Amino acid sequence: MDRIQIPATDRSPAVDFDFSAGLLRISGESYPEDAAAFFGPLLQSLRAYLGQGGENAVTVEVALAYFNSSSAKALMNLFMALEDAAAEGRPVAIRWFYAEGDDTIQEAGEDFASDFSYGSFDLVTAPQAEEAHR
Amino acid sequence: MLAQDFLTFHEASRRGGVILSFGGDLSENVLFSLGEVLKLRMSQGETDASVAKRVFSIFVEQAQNIIRYSADKLPRPQDKAPGPSGLVSGGMIVVGVEEGRFFVVCGNEVPQADVPTLRSRLAHIVGLSSEELKRFYREKLRQAPDEGSLGGSIGLIEIARRSSAPVEYDFHDIAGDRCLFCLKAYI
Repeated sequence: MDRIQIPATDRSPAVDFDFSAGLLRISGESYPEDAAAFFGPLLQSLRAYLGQGGENAVTVEVALAYFNSSSAKALMNLFMALEDAAAEGRPVAIRWFYAEGDDTIQEAGEDFASDFSYGSFDLVTAPQAEEAHR
Repeated sequence: MLAQDFLTFHEASRRGGVILSFGGDLSENVLFSLGEVLKLRMSQGETDASVAKRVFSIFVEQAQNIIRYSADKLPRPQDKAPGPSGLVSGGMIVVGVEEGRFFVVCGNEVPQADVPTLRSRLAHIVGLSSEELKRFYREKLRQAPDEGSLGGSIGLIEIARRSSAPVEYDFHDIAGDRCLFCLKAYI
């Protein structure tokens, strides 16, 4: 599948879904005008990728400094697709980066992590969450 | 007289601790610009980073509620796709500090028909402890959005979670089949 690379804007995150490497990354801030329009195509591509099956491990790195509630909902949809794939045997690992001391993002990671039982969901401190992918 | 009236208005809002106030047509672009100056004001005022984040988060959720659910909307251009982008909606949003605590208050018209649902959702949220709010948020996050929602149906829960006290809300009947809805959150 084609790699998806979207540069960050002031209010939407950078996206790098490198399907052939099994490495999917989202970083920056996320409160787009229309979260469903931004994340919808990403969810479709992710589902198509996971639907192809295979044994390759999937690693997802999320490093968001801020996201609104509509983005939270969209992220949950991505995570549910990943957890479903993990339940069917695909090795899935999510790495959730948050800046040390950033309780909001840490707690948000815990909210999402509570829904994972097949895939792994790890909270990772980064000195600066935004720096994690540079 | 003009300047005197304006000064009175300005001083009244300063006494009320207002640091940002907007009334009129709100769009996603206006939200973004107001959010930028709010962030700047808080960083220059040396607001604690975690408080500033919560203020910003509540501001965004409140402003997006106005944009999406205000009954006072400009007609949408024909060529615009459905969804929240391109919406222009009337409302008010004020950010200020009262006794050392930030607050964000919004006001917008809603259809009378929406009031019972909104009222019961708020009554439910206000009655929850922070632990119950967390559980409720996680539960709603997993569910499909409510009918008529343009977001995730979790904006109000998000506002309540980021607040340091229960949110205050009120409804006031206005002309026709509309009601003025106000929501105030303290951080």
